[in-house]
Amino acid sequence: MIAVSLALILLALLGAPLFAIIAAGALLSFYQMDPEFGPIAVPIEIFSIAEMPILLAIPLFTFAGYVLSESEAPGRLVRLTRAMLGWMPGGLAIVCIVACAFFTAFTGASGVTIIALGAILYPALTQAGYDEKFNLGLVTAGGSLGLLFAPSLPLILYGVVAEVNIDDLFIAGIFPGLLMLASLSAYALWMNRGNRVPLSEFSWGEVGAALRESIWELPLPIVVLGGIYSGLLAVSEAAAVTAVYVILTEVVIRREISLSKMPEIMRESMVLVGGILLILGASLASTNYIIDAEVPQQLIGFVNNFVDSRTSFLVLLLLFLLVLGAFLDIFSALVLVVPLILPVAAEYNVEPVHLGMVFLATMQLGYLTPPVGLNLFIASYRFDQPIVRVYLATLPFLLILLVAVIVITFFPALSLTMLD
Amino acid sequence: MNLQSRRSKLLAKASAFGRFVENTFLSLLLAGMIGLAALQIVLRWSDLGSLVWGDEAIRLMVLWIAMIAGIAAAREDRHIAIDVLSRFLGTRSKAITAVIVDLFTAAVCLALAWYGWGMLRFALDDGDVFFGNLPAWFFQSIIPAAFALMAYRYFLWFLRGLRTFISGDAK
Repeated sequence: MIAVSLALILLALLGAPLFAIIAAGALLSFYQMDPEFGPIAVPIEIFSIAEMPILLAIPLFTFAGYVLSESEAPGRLVRLTRAMLGWMPGGLAIVCIVACAFFTAFTGASGVTIIALGAILYPALTQAGYDEKFNLGLVTAGGSLGLLFAPSLPLILYGVVAEVNIDDLFIAGIFPGLLMLASLSAYALWMNRGNRVPLSEFSWGEVGAALRESIWELPLPIVVLGGIYSGLLAVSEAAAVTAVYVILTEVVIRREISLSKMPEIMRESMVLVGGILLILGASLASTNYIIDAEVPQQLIGFVNNFVDSRTSFLVLLLLFLLVLGAFLDIFSALVLVVPLILPVAAEYNVEPVHLGMVFLATMQLGYLTPPVGLNLFIASYRFDQPIVRVYLATLPFLLILLVAVIVITFFPALSLTMLD
Repeated sequence: MNLQSRRSKLLAKASAFGRFVENTFLSLLLAGMIGLAALQIVLRWSDLGSLVWGDEAIRLMVLWIAMIAGIAAAREDRHIAIDVLSRFLGTRSKAITAVIVDLFTAAVCLALAWYGWGMLRFALDDGDVFFGNLPAWFFQSIIPAAFALMAYRYFLWFLRGLRTFISGDAK
């Protein structure tokens, strides 16, 4: 069995699709239990995708995000943030951070942010006289922000896997997410303290014009969050309303996307969704086997050997997740690892909601860490820069976010205070 | 027109058609799902009472979308993967690992299709039903069907990789 596991890991590292790796592991395990009918458990578990009502939120939010990024909404978002924040010294960097976070929350952290917003922000930053290397790092790091803000896809998926109330996760993410924004903003201001020239004078006229221009997009966060917290809408219903609303505004009213483009946009967004849900389905089967085999109990026993306090558990967890995030994408890591560490974390009195914040915040760093950080490759490709240059440019931002992650890990109150 | 170019033209047409079919299914399902989910909300708010079969239908649509999107992703070899080692490999070793990886994936998909078929047979024997009286096997059939198509896709990737490897002109 160990040889098989190693072979599967090797195949994964060589680029085999992760759903196939996970499914192969599950098929083999169930085959050992019952060669004739055992492996049928795997398709049955995959079918149970159709038994989780919350999963509806995943295709709908992803689709809405793709439609938004194909429209001219990214440009309007940048104009609006610029009108409101551009007057500060170093303002455009802050604009970049805020706009990226907002956009990523809606597009689900799939690298879309760098493509949609980076194309606007990167040249604008260069034009405004910011250092080239700083811009590259800022835009690359910015593309991972917003993961902790509702209604981001990883937050929803964590709720599904850990069986935690998703409304609670949406609330818990606010302060940790803001901490990340604030620390990057502070760094941006400090780095550009020599470049004190504000981007533009603050003008009520420009703010008004930008607001009018974004009049259709502005209600979106209110619809989503207001709908959920007023109790009017369940999370998956809020996703449906968002999808309908985005189609109405960008396709019917603004006509920025022609109907003939819709099938390709639908395909693009659903390819991502299908990829995530297949991994989820396969891992439901492998998780089932793992729990039957009492792996979490063994893991608890193993960890107990050299971890005796909550703090040392959190240190170990953080190190583990940092390594994990460097190799595994956030969605696969979520479905594979969360079921394993959840019971261990409970042993050390780590709240599931807090664990979620630590997990997602650390995985967010994975977007920026070599060798496989997704954002590094997208930025390298999108801005036509050598990958090593992107690594180096992103490094200071990565270190600052790491500090924020450490704070999020060791101060659970940051995540939990709004829930009490 | 020689046979070779005629053949490749036909293949291109077939592939465009396959893509069109995938897009049509995905678009219809997604649009239908959005519409149905919105309708359910309106019905619930308006005290008319939501459709009893609505939520079950939406959940099945999520599964069908996931499976068909899985086929679409296999067509473009865009399933989520780690792919960390291949960056450090030379063209020749890259070609051979691609061949192994694609054959492995095709085999796993085939096994999933086979056991998915087994699941269907159970549903048939037990007479499982959805929506009160519709046969469950019909709604489950997407699982073996989609994995069979994915197996076919990855087998094609395998053949293509093998050809490149043998002819030695790996990109």
